[in-house]
Amino acid sequence: MSDNPFKLIRSTDQPPETLRKEVMSSVKFAMLLMRFAQLFVADLSVAIFDKVRRSGDDKPTTRDNPPSPHGS
Amino acid sequence: MDTERFAVLYDRYSTKVFQKCVGMTRDRELAKDLTHDIFLKAFLNLAKFDHRSKFGTWLYSITYNYCLDTLRKAKRHREEDIDERTESDTPADEGNEAQLLGMQAEQLDHVLQCIDPTDRAVLLMKYEDELSLKDMMDALSVSESAVKMRLMRARERALAMYTELYPDEP
Repeated sequence: MSDNPFKLIRSTDQPPETLRKEVMSSVKFAMLLMRFAQLFVADLSVAIFDKVRRSGDDKPTTRDNPPSPHGS
Repeated sequence: MDTERFAVLYDRYSTKVFQKCVGMTRDRELAKDLTHDIFLKAFLNLAKFDHRSKFGTWLYSITYNYCLDTLRKAKRHREEDIDERTESDTPADEGNEAQLLGMQAEQLDHVLQCIDPTDRAVLLMKYEDELSLKDMMDALSVSESAVKMRLMRARERALAMYTELYPDEP
């Protein structure tokens, strides 16, 4: 609707040229932080898995100790 | 996503996001900072974009919500309780809409500068961007009746401000 005054007052400003560089710089920094964090999180999950997992060389499996049919 | 591909998204959407931020805040410097943060937020949340809506709709939802959050924090805005009883689409409210759309552009601009940012946001969504009710529900994360109620109250308050600013106008 051409008479809609909301359309007439719509902003026509362009973003500053410097903004693109600032955004991309922040995005690259964020990506670096994410990769850095992933490095530790990945190692941590492997370490926790090793401690908690049931199967493995020195761990008894549920097949070795099957659960009681009465749940006790 | 690599940064080069994200740069393509920036080039495609930055102008519209920036203009929405200017429209919501009426402050070019603040709009610049908000645009920066919105694109950073979008990048960090790309994994949550589920392709059910268009990327633009998803990005504009972040834009509206981030602008509103910032303005609310700045003004220590108290979120009003939303009365879920819907009274919109009544003849009186249709009259309010006609009055709102009948304002002169300069007068409307003045009114929008003076009303609450939340009211300004829903009016811009509805009448400038012409978002559907569903898109507004998604963007604001509220029910259909809450969107209608917010719109109705925003129209009422905009008209009250108009009367206050231009007491001699019809």
